[in-house]
Amino acid sequence: MRAIKGILFTCDPAVKQILLSMNEKSSFIIEDLDDHHLVIKADEEYRVRRELEVELEKNTYSMES
Amino acid sequence: MSGKRIADGSPESSYPTKRARPDDDRTEYLDINDEDDAIPPSPPDTSLVFRGATINFSALTRKLAEARRTKDSKGSENLSALEVHRRQQDNLVSHIFMDQDFSWLHLKPDHASRPLWISPEDGHIILEAFSPIAEQAQDFLTAISEPVSRPAFIHEYKLTSYSLYAAVSVGLQTEDIIEVLNRLSKVPVPDSITSFIRERTLSYGKVKLVLKHNKYFVESSHPETLQLLLKDRVIREARLFSVQADSSIKSATFTTSKAPVRGNLVIPGTKEVEKKGDAITNKFGIAGGPTPHGASDAELFTSVVGVDADEIDEDDENVHAFEIHDAKIDDVKKRCNELEYPMLEEYDFRNDTVNANLDIDLKPATVIRPYQETSLSKMFGNGRARSGIIVLPCGAGKTLVGITAACTIKKSCLVLCTSSVSVMQWKQQFMQWSNVTDRQIAVFTADQKEKFAGDSGIVVSTYSMVANTHNRSHESKKMMEFLTSREWGFILLDEVHVVPAVMFRRVVTTIKAHSKLGLTATLVREDDKISDLNYMIGPKLYEANWMDLAAKGHIANVQCAEVWCPMTPEFYREYLREQSRKRMLLYCMNPNKFQACQFLVKYHEGRGDKVIVFSDNVFALEAYAKRLHKLYIHGGTSQVERMRILQHFQHSPEVNTIFLSKVGDTSIDLPEATCLIQISSHFGSRRQEAQRLGRILRAKRRNDEGFNAFFYSLVSKDTQEMYYSTKRQQFLIDQGYAFKVITHLDGLEDLPDLVYKTRDEQIELISSVLLANESEADLGSDVRAAEGDLAGTVTSKDFGPTRFPTAHRTTGSLTALSGAQHMSYVEQNKSANKKLAREAAPRHKLFAKREKEKAAAKKEAKEARARAQD
Repeated sequence: MRAIKGILFTCDPAVKQILLSMNEKSSFIIEDLDDHHLVIKADEEYRVRRELEVELEKNTYSMES
Repeated sequence: MSGKRIADGSPESSYPTKRARPDDDRTEYLDINDEDDAIPPSPPDTSLVFRGATINFSALTRKLAEARRTKDSKGSENLSALEVHRRQQDNLVSHIFMDQDFSWLHLKPDHASRPLWISPEDGHIILEAFSPIAEQAQDFLTAISEPVSRPAFIHEYKLTSYSLYAAVSVGLQTEDIIEVLNRLSKVPVPDSITSFIRERTLSYGKVKLVLKHNKYFVESSHPETLQLLLKDRVIREARLFSVQADSSIKSATFTTSKAPVRGNLVIPGTKEVEKKGDAITNKFGIAGGPTPHGASDAELFTSVVGVDADEIDEDDENVHAFEIHDAKIDDVKKRCNELEYPMLEEYDFRNDTVNANLDIDLKPATVIRPYQETSLSKMFGNGRARSGIIVLPCGAGKTLVGITAACTIKKSCLVLCTSSVSVMQWKQQFMQWSNVTDRQIAVFTADQKEKFAGDSGIVVSTYSMVANTHNRSHESKKMMEFLTSREWGFILLDEVHVVPAVMFRRVVTTIKAHSKLGLTATLVREDDKISDLNYMIGPKLYEANWMDLAAKGHIANVQCAEVWCPMTPEFYREYLREQSRKRMLLYCMNPNKFQACQFLVKYHEGRGDKVIVFSDNVFALEAYAKRLHKLYIHGGTSQVERMRILQHFQHSPEVNTIFLSKVGDTSIDLPEATCLIQISSHFGSRRQEAQRLGRILRAKRRNDEGFNAFFYSLVSKDTQEMYYSTKRQQFLIDQGYAFKVITHLDGLEDLPDLVYKTRDEQIELISSVLLANESEADLGSDVRAAEGDLAGTVTSKDFGPTRFPTAHRTTGSLTALSGAQHMSYVEQNKSANKKLAREAAPRHKLFAKREKEKAAAKKEAKEARARAQD
């Protein structure tokens, strides 16, 4: 018996798609529940959040750039 | 500052807001980097410490410093409790602003009633637009500075050299500027700003560029200034030596002549424009020093330094000049600006006896609006024509300003515009507003090469026709010779912001014109080449405040909104996989966007609005229009069909929506339209956004009580479109427009016959999108430039010659192709265009009857004549 600590990740469908494409590079999703919910590995949470932030920020226009 | 409000209760509030937020960013990041700026006692070597360590370290020092300061303030017990509290508050926030913390500036005691803040560093001026005297302050600020951003409550202006030159040239005195600024400012005008103003205004107007007998001269009443300029290599090389001058002294001599006199001038169409001309009186007496008129060598006086001293007295009377090559005009102008002796280009057209007058005037019925009058009074401020740029919103009557200027100068005039379509529009407008006759106005395009009759007249042409360097036909060569051989009193440059610098230079150097006026709605360029215009044409003379014009009913009031449409999971998955070109197609065709578009169209048709839907992408345009059963026009639509569709849109109550591609950006004028929806656009082009908004600014119904026009951008969430959309809005935001964000359209789900409601339909849609050719994703592929159109003006991608569609080969059995397999062809998704009646709309009985009678009468007359001849 092997237990993996996971956390429930709630997001909207678009973000879920980003996560799925990130998952193809390095797997962190334990279970794909529905459009809004995923279970991901707990120890990957920080990294995933950070990468997601970077991904979403790409579509933001800021005065400096 | 220009924060976009997020709709309440949006589920996305945890998202990073999409709005540009320079200030917020600073709060998050900058306080870590430059801590030592805000906290005086921090040790100087913090920058050497490893960055990770700096954070903790500086946080510590900050706490320490704060503690020390609170102790200090407690120590000075004669402060009231409130003041202590204030000071503490200041300390808390001041580090946020870093090097822009100006809390050390002393507020005047009555600062509350003064509306201005002046930044001592970069000359930015912040105006509280809600102040009771804001309106006067605004008038003053537009005269001396350039507007940067003008939202509802806080305006930002910037003092620049050019704006100050413009201020001086309309007659404002240096000390007056400083005095008024000081009166309006909450803080005493910083020394840096005063000296900046002094410096810029004093050197202004000393050097002039004049055109005499088809030759350019640099003129000045201060010979020492000319000496100084001639020390510069660029200018020295551009100098042209007149032949008759004695070779031994010519390198150091100038020609001298009288300064021109000014008088009174009235711009037609206005009530007696008051003269702002500064009163420099010109006496023709010569005070002393060497006599400038007399022997030939006295006419050219040597400018040895010793002699200069004697010259100062007669500076007012005499102007000295040297001639320069026409090809190097631009370099010289640019160089002079760099040397901070900007060249003034003024044309004393009333005293020009060399060039023939053109007898044109505005028609008596033509009345120009107050803001048009203001802009022209800036141009003719001192009785002469000053070169420069006037910025007015789309639909605010730029053309009329240009025509009025031409009617004021009354000399030969050359109008340059961007496309052959606008050439015809300009000509037609000239005929409409002024009493110019057909013989006096000529058109020079690829198809038409005319010359005007008589000594003077108007020629309308395109930039590329004039700037063309390739082989020309014999006729256009002759026409060009005609254009270059004469002196033009006035050159009008339409849409100046789009003209490439190279082309411009060619125009300016080949055509000799006394004064230039540039007209534009959006003085922005994506490549920041705008500053080039400053020396090529002149300073910005006037920029209208869009919000003001809207408030006064000259342009329509517009509600802007950005509708965020979430991507469906299927589309977003494909979006993440695809490469950039196809991505565009995917976010345009997003089913949620489709639904939002349908909903908005339906909603606004219900309100009685006429709706235009814009899409740059032709594939999406056709798909939307066909699915929603609406009419559409794109580059491939034939002229006849176009006219028919537009006719229906304008007059038929059944056709309330049309879909337009890029062709609608400029060349189609639809004053009926009151609502505009964008589904796809040209990346981050601020100009296109403004141009499109311009389509509804001239709405016919704009003067109705409480009328609003609507401008929607549909944006697919979490895609690049969000980035572009924000970028596109920047220009309009600076003009004071506020974009509302709509994250959810109320009642969208309840709409009957909503398109792409089921997942199956959506999947079908995505497969059709994925099957689409990659080239379908290109924007504006339908628009092809005509010969003579300027690249970039129609924002078209393809400027090559028109290509014929290649033949398609398909395999199929002969039985199937001949229809023997019991297959019949039914078009399910038919274009609504085809359903339009082929014949012209039936005429009203009254007119039909009248026409019949007329025809009968004609026939009778003919028969009678024939009988009489027999």
